[in-house]
This record gives sequence, structure tokens and C-alpha cells, in this order.
Amino acid sequence: MIEINNLSFKFGKLRIFDNFNLEIPKGEVVLITGINGVGKTTLLRLIAGVLKPLKGEIKFSNEISSDPRRSIGFISDKLSLYESLTVSQAIDFHKSIYGVSNFDDFLIKFTKIKKYQKLKQLSIGQRAIFHLSLILSTNPKILLIDEIIHSIDVYLRNIFIKELIKLISEKMVTVVLVNLNFYDIENILDRVILLKNGEIAVNEKIGTLKTKVKKIISTNSTKSLPVISQIDYLDHSEYFIYPYKENYRKEFDGEVIDLNLTEIVSAFIGGEYA
Amino acid sequence: MKKESKIILNIKVDVKSALPIYEQIKRAIKIAILSGKFKDGDKLTSIREMAIKLKINPNTIIKIYTQLETEGYVYSRPGLGYFIKKDKGNLDKDKYEIFKQETFDYISKVSELGYSYNEILKIVKKYFKGV
Repeated sequence: MIEINNLSFKFGKLRIFDNFNLEIPKGEVVLITGINGVGKTTLLRLIAGVLKPLKGEIKFSNEISSDPRRSIGFISDKLSLYESLTVSQAIDFHKSIYGVSNFDDFLIKFTKIKKYQKLKQLSIGQRAIFHLSLILSTNPKILLIDEIIHSIDVYLRNIFIKELIKLISEKMVTVVLVNLNFYDIENILDRVILLKNGEIAVNEKIGTLKTKVKKIISTNSTKSLPVISQIDYLDHSEYFIYPYKENYRKEFDGEVIDLNLTEIVSAFIGGEYA
Repeated sequence: MKKESKIILNIKVDVKSALPIYEQIKRAIKIAILSGKFKDGDKLTSIREMAIKLKINPNTIIKIYTQLETEGYVYSRPGLGYFIKKDKGNLDKDKYEIFKQETFDYISKVSELGYSYNEILKIVKKYFKGV
């Protein structure tokens, strides 16, 4: 479990979080999303311990609290690995730091990475897979993944996602993803967290979220309903409702439409830019 | 190591469908069981394998398998997995339910296109004659 209590953080004078609280249950796959600049990556880096909070604390469950850095894997395209090392040097270096005795290179074999290549010569996708294989060797309890899944080509992305599923099903690893693109990952999520102005606007299990956010297509106004955003056409409007309740059907003439995750997040984000 | 069930379940998940993915997968497995693809006692694809194959959260598969167990389609053996249970009476009823539902779905779709009872009958007969 990850428990964030009264967290405050600033970049210079720019306040990102002020008394922010969040609990992420063990073994869940959680998506953190929100508009650009809302602090998604900052939050991941705070959890990873790369950034230090101004105030507040981030706690982990007992099994990892003794040495959180060792139990947390952080994958990001911005993270510089050991750039000038070759793949095999990096593996040796990693093994010595983390005391890993047997490094399994099965993932690397899928990627056409050559062991004599320097890390700076690898593509983003190859780096992601290589980085993942390093992290897997240390048996992480928490995996933090920043915006990388959709910079990887579709073949490597499939490998990456399959490895994630294995980790979840075999080791109860908690996974926190920051992403703006949900294609391919929607079905592996347990929970969606939407950040807005440094606060949590939505924190729902994905199944619940889908029953609570609906689109209503109607020619008349739906003033009494909780509309998060709307799109107007000449003769009708689309209203995005959250939280939706079945008895709302009595209050308007129109059609209720189910939404996928991309549409749901667009509806919330659309509301923020309106 | 004992090999898992040789029966290949070809399930396609449609993210855009209004039917939740777990319902889609559950229905596909039910149809595979009802259509006789599995024999009594056959092992169902493991949770992990199914999750990886369909690229969905293993918790979703657990939910589906548990529901299938409650509904009497499978039984679990701790540590070994889920196995097909062929309880005749129960399954026949469900099979008929799915048959009815699929037929209604078809009729409502083609009726919307404007085809009449006689035209539907004609094409159904044609199908069975293999013309």
C-alpha cells in the first residue's frame, strides 16, 4: 500500500500540491491522469523518492518501508540510465549495486538489443524494455511507469504489457501509471485517479467509473443534472454526466450512452478547459 | 508438467462495446462450454494465461471465473485451476436462454432494416438448405 498524507510540494513559487492525500491499495493497477502540468509526473517522482516533499509524508506497507528505494521500480523516458555503458556493462553494474545474482535476459532477446550496444544507442522502446528487465531482476513491490507505454512500438508494447500482467498476477505488484493515452491499457487498470488543481477530482474503480459517467444526447437542457462538460450542436447537445444515476432518465428526453475510458477522461478534461 | 487444455478459446474483446469486457468474455466462455467444445473435467485456461492472452487485468479474469463457478459452469480445485462442469439440466436451460437472446438480437437488427417475417424465414430456410 502507498499512503500519502498531507503532502505539499512546490516548484519555486508554483504550488503543485497542498495538503494532498491519497491511498493506493496493494496489488492494484492505478492510472493517474489529468491535464498537462497538473503534477502527474511530479507525484510519481515524489512516490519514487526522486523528489522530496516540502511537507507531509509518503508511507509504504511494512514489507517495503525498511528500504523503499529498493522495492520501487521507476520507468521513465526522461530517466537517464548509464548512458555511456554498453548493455552488458549496465547489467553487471546493476547486478553489483542491487546484489542481483541471476539476471534473466529473456526480455532483451525479444528486442533485438545487442549486448555490446551502448545505452544511448537504444531506441525509446528498447530502453523501456531494457529498463523493465533491470527492474524485474530486483523483484519490485511497486512499479511506477511514467508516460512511456505509448512511445513504444506496438510489438514491444505488447511484450511490455504482457510482462506487467505477469507481475500483477504472480507477485501482487502495485502499479502506478501516468498516461494520457488509454488504448491498450484500459483493460489492465483497476482504478483511475484524475488530478485537478493539485487535488483528486476522481478516484474510482474502473468498473464503477463506467457506470457513473455517461453521455446524454438530448435536445432539451439537463440543468438539474451534474454535467461535467458538454458539446453543443445545432439542434441538440451532448452532456457528460458524473455521477450518473438511473433515475435521471425521468428528467430528460434523450439517449444515454456508455463511454470508454478515453471518452470519460476527455469529458472531464473538456470541462477543465471550458 | 501437465499440459493445459488443448481447446483454444478464441475470444475477441471489443473495447467499444457497451457490454463490459468481463461480460463479453464470460459470454464467450459460456458459449464455448455450451457448444460442446469442452468435455466434462477439461481444464480452463489458467487465470494468468487468459489475462496475458487478452491483455486484461488478472482480477477481471478471477471475477469471471468466480461467477462461472457460482453459475455452475466450472469448479475450482485449489492450486490446480478451474475445470469444466457439465451439469446437464442447468446447461440446457442456459443454452436455450442464449439461443433466444441471440435470435431476438438478430430479429430486432434485421427488422430495423425493414425486413419482414416472411423475408427472414426465407433466408433462414435458405441457410439451412445450404444454398
